[in-house]
Amino acid sequence: MKKTTVLQVCVAFVLCSPQAVTGSPVDCPDQDTAGTSCAISLEKLLERAVQHAELIYRVSEESKLLFDEMLISFGMNLHIPEGTMCAPKTVLVPMSKSEIQQISDKWILHSVLILAQFWIDPLVDVQTSLENYENAPSALLNRSKWMSSKLMSLEKGILVLIRQVLGEGGLALEVPEETSERFVSSNMFETVRKDYSAIYCFRKDAHKMQTFLKLLKCRQIDKENCTLF
Amino acid sequence: MRKSGAVLVLTFIADLISQAAGVSSPGKPRLTSCRSPEKETFTCWWEPGYDGGLPTTYALYYRLENSETVYECPDYRTAGKNSCFFNKNDTSLWVNYNITVVATNALGKNISEPVEVDVVYIVQPNTPENVTAVVVNDDQGPFVRVSWEKPRTADTRSGWITLLYQLRIKQEKDQEWEEYDAGMQKYYNVFSLHPDKEYMVQVRCKPDHGFWSEWTQTTYVKMPDYIPRERSLWIMIAIFSVFIVLILTWTLNVKRNSVKLCLLPPVPGPKIKGFDKQLLKSGKSEEVFNSLVIQGFPPTTDYVDLMVEYLEVYDNEEQELVLDGKDLSEDCMKSKSPLDSDSGRGSCDSRTLLLEKCIERREGSRSDQHQYSQHGETSWASSECSESQGPEPGSPESTDGRAKTWPDVFSSPQLQSRHHYQNGAVKPAYHSVPEILSHLSPLATPSNYHQLPLQQEGHFSKPPCRHSQSYNQFNLDIVDAPAPGVSQSHSSEYVEVQTVDPQNMLLLRPLSDANHEPEALDYAGEDYSRVKEVISNNVLLLQRETSHQFVNDYSQDLDSQADQCTIQQSPHPCKPAVQQSNTGMPQEVMRVMGNGYVDSTVLMPTY
Repeated sequence: MKKTTVLQVCVAFVLCSPQAVTGSPVDCPDQDTAGTSCAISLEKLLERAVQHAELIYRVSEESKLLFDEMLISFGMNLHIPEGTMCAPKTVLVPMSKSEIQQISDKWILHSVLILAQFWIDPLVDVQTSLENYENAPSALLNRSKWMSSKLMSLEKGILVLIRQVLGEGGLALEVPEETSERFVSSNMFETVRKDYSAIYCFRKDAHKMQTFLKLLKCRQIDKENCTLF
Repeated sequence: MRKSGAVLVLTFIADLISQAAGVSSPGKPRLTSCRSPEKETFTCWWEPGYDGGLPTTYALYYRLENSETVYECPDYRTAGKNSCFFNKNDTSLWVNYNITVVATNALGKNISEPVEVDVVYIVQPNTPENVTAVVVNDDQGPFVRVSWEKPRTADTRSGWITLLYQLRIKQEKDQEWEEYDAGMQKYYNVFSLHPDKEYMVQVRCKPDHGFWSEWTQTTYVKMPDYIPRERSLWIMIAIFSVFIVLILTWTLNVKRNSVKLCLLPPVPGPKIKGFDKQLLKSGKSEEVFNSLVIQGFPPTTDYVDLMVEYLEVYDNEEQELVLDGKDLSEDCMKSKSPLDSDSGRGSCDSRTLLLEKCIERREGSRSDQHQYSQHGETSWASSECSESQGPEPGSPESTDGRAKTWPDVFSSPQLQSRHHYQNGAVKPAYHSVPEILSHLSPLATPSNYHQLPLQQEGHFSKPPCRHSQSYNQFNLDIVDAPAPGVSQSHSSEYVEVQTVDPQNMLLLRPLSDANHEPEALDYAGEDYSRVKEVISNNVLLLQRETSHQFVNDYSQDLDSQADQCTIQQSPHPCKPAVQQSNTGMPQEVMRVMGNGYVDSTVLMPTY
């Protein structure tokens, strides 16, 4: 019995060998690692993340300007007092320059992640709200759409970065879910005001994210004296 | 056991049968490419293998890096057959994709080689759109302006993708395209195209990391027919300049000679009379210079005859005023003649008769030294011997000239007022008259002497060694005063100037009796001549003196000669006296020598 089994197996093997699936080492375009699938290098990841953040910031600036023009065309004058508008985050995010200089890489990544995760939903809301306007310029609409998609992409990238830089345990830090308040105000003025403040504050945070990521990239890649500009 | 063996054999047989029938499990598929047009989605295509004769299905599976979860392709349709489309949500820029394709048919399945995909590096944009090519007319000539738009899907506005464009152009018949890089701009100007030809234009683009897009469809453009203006202008200029050149050449040809004269003027030859170029070329300088020497110059032979009268003024006993006679002059001359090259300075040094009497006196001006011609005969004794004397104020043309030419040009230094130096250069050295007088004062002047009033303020030079002097012309006032004791200087061909008085008058006395006592005032004769005047053609008019006993007076006391106007006074007032005396002279025999000299011997007493 055993012999026949073995014989079967051998024959099967012989018969099937021309069609056998031959495994091949993974062709890794970036690096030569045998075995496990290769990953995109940290350098490239950081570069892309910085590019994301830069573009998001640039577009957010353009969005704000467009919004201002729209408001002027509407005849509204919304003066935003400094510093009072933007809601503070629940988790402490370093604000001042000195704090940021001393922050560790771990905290940089976490801060950026917090910020990115915070803004995904509000941006979607703004986008839907803008679509309800009567004469919202299409450029503004496109941009807001663009910003939300890119932000989501960035968030994913940050997660990957965290995994790479900090290892698997990096996500241990729990980010409390921020329940954004969605209030729908029937008052046009209030809605506009809310949207405008969202864009205004998002612009500030986008700048922060860009700064953090640039600093991180400098630390990881250049490893020279990286100071905040 | 038998069962298994039977199964095995059956399997083997089935296999063989199936192979003989031509059906098999599918061949291995192959992923040909994965591309992303805008860095937000991507598509992968595969190539099926041999399908084994049976209907085969293909499935694409992918795995994200570091994750074992296998996902299947979300969209097989969008991108066409044998493709898989990943939309935005499924596309991540942060992870690599590990993609495989599995072919399955009734008999088996086959798996392709896995492919790693990094979305950022597989970006290949769509082709640019709306390519237009227009001809633009410019001053320089027409050119083609090609413009286009970005592919619709590429997001260059936000900077998500940066595109670089490239265009190519050729004529229909050409083999090779000519490519131009347009950078990030969406237009390009193409120059230097041939007129009246049709061109094909294509455009493509590329992101900064990625692949070139496909070329667009061909756009045709036709160049107009034109003549390049610059070429015609150059042709006209060329013709015009050729014309001008021809005219110039013809003119030059006609005026050949004058042009030659203008450009290459003849070199003037040396203009020295008697200078022989040939001799110079032959290199014998002596001969050359010798040829410049005028033979027979100075006229030594004649000279002797002519140099009859000249005055020498000495200092003291040194101060002898010697009127050398012929012999003296002869000797002097002869002795001097070898000293052609004497610059005239050292007549004192020269061996002349007068040497012993020559004492280097500082009278006379230095400049006299320059007066001597090369032939020292004409040198002024005064000037020669005068060394240290200041320039004479009174000497008129006191230049560096030489007493050049000979016979006519002798001028007495004392009588310079009327001199006309023919070459103007002679400057006799004068002593100041008072000097002379002072020197002479101790001398009791003998009776006979001549006075030669000097006409001007010229000074007397009293160089001891003046041994030859020549007079050009002098205007002498005839001393009206009685001849100071016309002693018989019978033999006296010489007249000695005894004194010179303050009024620049020469008091002469005959030298023949050198032993005469100066006090001898008895001159009885008229054996000395008194120069009356010199007339224009250098003729010296001599006058015999009748007995005048005024010599003493003069010599003694020059100052008190107020009454003797002729003697003491300036010439002018005495002129009439002169004339009077002149008239008083019974006879005047004057023999005029050939060259203006008067032989005083003729005037020897005829009494």
